[in-house]
Amino acid sequence: MRVTFSRLTRQARQQAAGTLVLCLPEGGGPMLPSAHALDSASSGRLTRALAAAQFGGKAGQVCLLEAPEPFAARRLMVVGLGPAKHLTPLELQRAGGRVARRFGGARHGDLRLGALVIAADWVPGTSYGVADLAAHLAYGVRLGAYRYTRHMVRAERPQVPATLKVLVASPAPARRAYRRLASVAEGVALARDLVNEPSNVKTPLWLAGKAKALDAVGVDVRVLRRARLEKLGMGGLLAVASGSAQEPAVAVMRWRGRTAPQGGPDVAFVGKGVTFDTGGISIKPAAGMERMRDDMAGAAAVIGAMHALAARRAKVDAIGIVGLAENMVSGTACRPGDVIRTMSGRTVEVIDTDAEGRLVLADLLHFARVRFRPRRLIDLGTLTGAVVTALGAEHAGMFTRDDGLAESLSRAGAGVGELLWRLPLGPGYQAALKSDIADLRQCAPAGLAPDACHAARFLAHFAGALDDDRDEAVAWAHLDIAGVADRAEPADLGPKGATGFGVRLLDRFVADCCEG
Amino acid sequence: MLNVSFAKQSLPRSGVLVVAVCQGKALSPKCKELDKATGGALKRAIDASGFDGDKSKVCTLLAPPGLDVSRVVLIGLGEDKKVDDLAAEDAGGHAVAALSGAGEETASIWFDLGRNVPLGEDAAAAEFAFGAQLRSYRFDKYRTREEKKDRPTLRKVAVMVEQPARARNLHMPLGKVAEGIFLTRDLVSEPPNILFPESFVKECRKLARLGIRIEVLDKRQMKKLGMGTLLGVAQGSARDPYMVVMQWNGAKAATAKPVAFVGKGVTFDTGGISIKPAGGMEDMKWDMGGAGVVTGLMKALAGRKAKANVVGVIGLVENMVSGTAQRPGDVVTSMSGQTVEVINTDAEGRLVLADALWYTQGRFKPQFMVNLATLTGAVIVALGEENAGLFSNNDELATRLEAAGRATGDHVWRLPLAKAYDDMLKSDIADMKNIGGRSAGSITAAQFLQRFVNEVPWAHLDIAGVTWSKKAKPTVPRGGTGFGVRLLDRLVRDHYEK
Repeated sequence: MRVTFSRLTRQARQQAAGTLVLCLPEGGGPMLPSAHALDSASSGRLTRALAAAQFGGKAGQVCLLEAPEPFAARRLMVVGLGPAKHLTPLELQRAGGRVARRFGGARHGDLRLGALVIAADWVPGTSYGVADLAAHLAYGVRLGAYRYTRHMVRAERPQVPATLKVLVASPAPARRAYRRLASVAEGVALARDLVNEPSNVKTPLWLAGKAKALDAVGVDVRVLRRARLEKLGMGGLLAVASGSAQEPAVAVMRWRGRTAPQGGPDVAFVGKGVTFDTGGISIKPAAGMERMRDDMAGAAAVIGAMHALAARRAKVDAIGIVGLAENMVSGTACRPGDVIRTMSGRTVEVIDTDAEGRLVLADLLHFARVRFRPRRLIDLGTLTGAVVTALGAEHAGMFTRDDGLAESLSRAGAGVGELLWRLPLGPGYQAALKSDIADLRQCAPAGLAPDACHAARFLAHFAGALDDDRDEAVAWAHLDIAGVADRAEPADLGPKGATGFGVRLLDRFVADCCEG
Repeated sequence: MLNVSFAKQSLPRSGVLVVAVCQGKALSPKCKELDKATGGALKRAIDASGFDGDKSKVCTLLAPPGLDVSRVVLIGLGEDKKVDDLAAEDAGGHAVAALSGAGEETASIWFDLGRNVPLGEDAAAAEFAFGAQLRSYRFDKYRTREEKKDRPTLRKVAVMVEQPARARNLHMPLGKVAEGIFLTRDLVSEPPNILFPESFVKECRKLARLGIRIEVLDKRQMKKLGMGTLLGVAQGSARDPYMVVMQWNGAKAATAKPVAFVGKGVTFDTGGISIKPAGGMEDMKWDMGGAGVVTGLMKALAGRKAKANVVGVIGLVENMVSGTAQRPGDVVTSMSGQTVEVINTDAEGRLVLADALWYTQGRFKPQFMVNLATLTGAVIVALGEENAGLFSNNDELATRLEAAGRATGDHVWRLPLAKAYDDMLKSDIADMKNIGGRSAGSITAAQFLQRFVNEVPWAHLDIAGVTWSKKAKPTVPRGGTGFGVRLLDRLVRDHYEK
């Protein structure tokens, strides 16, 4: 979608073709100038239409008016913003997202409807300037207009606006504000594309190639192939990959937007990238298994976030590491009962080959921590079904011993609408990880167990976050995104399917806490 | 209950001598004394066993030369700077566990705390005794042929300190809390053919002795009040449901607004028509855990004469399968007037609580309501046995509960409430369904309850994972834990007594 900004003049508004969008806050007051202009030019038709549609400007309300003469537009779309004083960037983005959603939902026989024009008036009572307002609306349209159509050859593709023109009093600052947001939108779209991609295309090496492609935006990328992983001793990751005919890989991405004063990078992001998860020998039930192509959503979030940071030239030294493997059933697959040696030297007894994500992350966390000494270490993975039972699709589970980091991440999540809820990681969850024959057991045997807490506790061993064996130099958090990587119903900021959860969160976290 | 007495320190002439010591390499002064009396035997025992005073470590010297006692047992308190209430309690629990098969009847306890211990000797002694009592609990009334040697022998613990009177005073309220916890554990452990709504009511009536006012609503009265969701659960059982209202008025001002505790008391839960799998169904006798806690808590508060006005309300029903049982698809009307489409008859606890909560807030206008229930399996998947799930509409109440949990070891972990979860309860034909879906099962249950709470500060504790324990902890034997009694007693003590 091409997005342009130009000056909001009476003429531009009046002559806009296609769908013209106006925004109105809730709670009476005089109409904003663009709405007022149309209303008076059409002798009060807009007022009557809004009254008939019981449109009060509430967030979520949209009113469509066909042929809003004397304006040239084929259709007018009026979008509610909610009360002006509660207006946040996220609320504006959601309003933009609703525009994209309604655009796709509306009839579109007339090609001229393909153009989308937003007349962005300043909203009295907000603390944001009109340039920011316009930029966030456009950002929301962009996120909401995302569709995954790569494999729709004969099927009718969903309608999204081809172009978006934003009319605003000060186009230059709006364009600048938008450019930064557009970088993040690209990262989100990239992450969604990767998650939506079917697993026959999306092999580990294919995904490594997608990470490698970030060198186009200035990210330094190395891909470690099997021989290198063997040399490093990444027994956890290799065990997961051992059932597949596809070669595993680890991609290490570094964006140096600055030289961090303490030497090591400001932050390292680690992502689980199981490109398809059959469960292995502990095979999953057939129903719903197709969704397991999303089991690399942690890796996708990391790749998307690295793109966003590089594209917006973030002043941060950030590392992204993704562990890419396919968990398959075969004669060479890892068995329940196997004992494997992880890169850290710890041995792990495999109980359930479907608890594979933690084996991949264990090696990556150790590798990231020991090799790069980052100040902050954050991993993401679609790790457990237990977190879905606990928190559903509204919150991802967050585990950390560091209250400050928890607070920062929660705040970043709330700011972008990717919510986190902290879950416990205490020593009480250690007993379940005791193995009779190895250093650690990977999980508790089947039954009603707090598996998300156990998984987090397991990872803490490799992240240097144990109670009595704590690596004080690094603050670590684990995000279990199994419930939020996909959505079953469309939302304002994206269709059903991959959400790209994590890209905006990590980008915001870097902006809030890491950029110096 | 284990008989506890407090006395001045002396060298006992029989039984066991237990010495509680802090972590450290050097012998503590009292151990030195004993070592001398035993001609160095104690030191040799310590060296041989590698005992260092760390938490939960125990060292036993049998038939110590030069002493009359049958054995000397050292119990570790851990690092001296970190010896707090809970560490002292744990040590008391470990002492009882260490002596459980020893055949001893009496134990004398010494403390060797040193100057770095933040806890005074009196307090340490009181907490130690409390911990010992909590661990000594045993539910053995149905063992009729148990051999004497298999039964615990320890009857008396003499705790020896500088100021026995002060320690005794500090222990007094703790002993009452222990009695409350024991009542809860008894109720939870009783088999469901013995403990059913009517017999549960009888247990509650016994509390009248302590000055608690007991009122019982029977089926007819509940019908009149319109408690349709509770009665729907009960209708499959041959046993009548009851609601018990317990009031303890200990505040100086009789008119002071009470605090209220509400408990789910499903004395047995088959699941109803949405019947549970057979494996493990015997555990469902403790589906009255919430009501058990409320009852034990009332006993504890009245026993220690808490200066607060407290209301306890429990809804007692049995959820059975029969020709009169409630069906999936039924629509029932709660006392609040809201209608509920019953999708799963095994999500019955919330139906009981819906009416109990509505009744409690309407009648008593409490300062807050806390309800407890073994409500969902999902909370076990979320938090396991380490934490109960906490849901609240009030940050202050939630923070206070979290703090009380840390102080007593009854840990709670807050989980979210949000509109998006509430939306999962939408029904096509009634005001709500009684379940959400497979995901976020504990949260949707809490959202359901919240629909029956008006503006009053409220918290819901999902105690399904913490009510019964397969493994012993220092102050909690296997079986019914009594989780919640100490937590809520502490909440009242810290914030609502004047």
